[in-house]
Amino acid sequence: MSQPLTSMLVESQALYLDPAIRDWVLIPIMVVMVLVGIFRDQVTVLIGSTSGKKAGIKAIKETKALTRGVTLRNYGNNIPSSSFLIRKNYLCSSYKKGDFLKNPASANQVVNPMTDPAGMEMMMEGMKKNFAMIIPQTVIMGWINFFFSGFVLSVETPDMDVTWVSSLSWYFLNLFGLRSIFTLLLGEDNAADGMRDMAAMSQMGAASPGQPQDFNKLFLAESENLELTPHNWELDDIEVRLLVKYGKRELVDNKDIIEMEDISSNDLSDVKGKSKKKRT
Amino acid sequence: MASQSPQNQASLYVHENVVHNAKTITFIRSSMSAITGSAAGILGLTGYSGFIFYALTAFFTSFLIWSVKTNTNPGIYFRNGSDVWTEGVFGGLFSYVLFWTLLYGIVHVYD
Repeated sequence: MSQPLTSMLVESQALYLDPAIRDWVLIPIMVVMVLVGIFRDQVTVLIGSTSGKKAGIKAIKETKALTRGVTLRNYGNNIPSSSFLIRKNYLCSSYKKGDFLKNPASANQVVNPMTDPAGMEMMMEGMKKNFAMIIPQTVIMGWINFFFSGFVLSVETPDMDVTWVSSLSWYFLNLFGLRSIFTLLLGEDNAADGMRDMAAMSQMGAASPGQPQDFNKLFLAESENLELTPHNWELDDIEVRLLVKYGKRELVDNKDIIEMEDISSNDLSDVKGKSKKKRT
Repeated sequence: MASQSPQNQASLYVHENVVHNAKTITFIRSSMSAITGSAAGILGLTGYSGFIFYALTAFFTSFLIWSVKTNTNPGIYFRNGSDVWTEGVFGGLFSYVLFWTLLYGIVHVYD
């Protein structure tokens, strides 16, 4: 029983590969995949540019107002306390009142994307893109499987050495490996990469793409974040930092955190000032 | 000199510049993995030796980035200094394997 099996194994190991397979299978698959990637990228540019619609001034105002809150949170330490407080109060109250909303009247009702024309547009956009991505993907995979199934592979023979590369596995190697090649060829934000659609497809169930965001909710969340943001002015301990920088004072490390009130009440006492410096 | 609160840490870096630096690294890594993959294929490496070769060349690339591109001071270009050593290494592995297989096939298998 074992005799024919071993002979078969030896035979399959000695499988001779025609050089023509290299010229007509290995290289064509790679070339086709590169070209399809470039084509896909160009199609995305085409679709994107035809529907390049400008957002209304109110919509821009909405997003910018949100950005403003984030900026204040991130860089607030660079302005004095009073300035920070004024901005914070203004933004928080405006967020809560909905001053920045595109449509203040509809602040509390949920927007149905099916009835909102802008939302509809966006959904169509997403669908178009998805189709442009998925169709070539499946077509190529089917094509490779169909045309080249007879060549290197025939993995149906179970005793074949696993080191043989089938054309389908070569396809998958290409699928993953060409990603960075496309980055080199087409720049960072290309749409040629096939794996991205897979990620997009798996996301589709969770949150439908193109659904308009509920800015009222975002504003409320942002105002909450702002209210929780502490303010430590960068220049509170500037004298000490300068003195230390020019070697007039040593730094002592015993405390890491200093309350703001300490500094404003009694001007920088030695220990505090030095300890603050330590946090370089 | 700034204190170490997360807020100040964030404001020390300009986001666009950090992104641009990461792009530069990805670019270097992509081209290097394609080149070293071709080299491995032409040399006829198989199995683990090919992956060891990748590890060595990736390390060498990181060293070059670290010493030449960042002047041994990656902290001023990246939020996290160790990004120089790790960024894009696994992404490059796929391209490496692709070119390794291709060149190995062209040079050694079919003749």
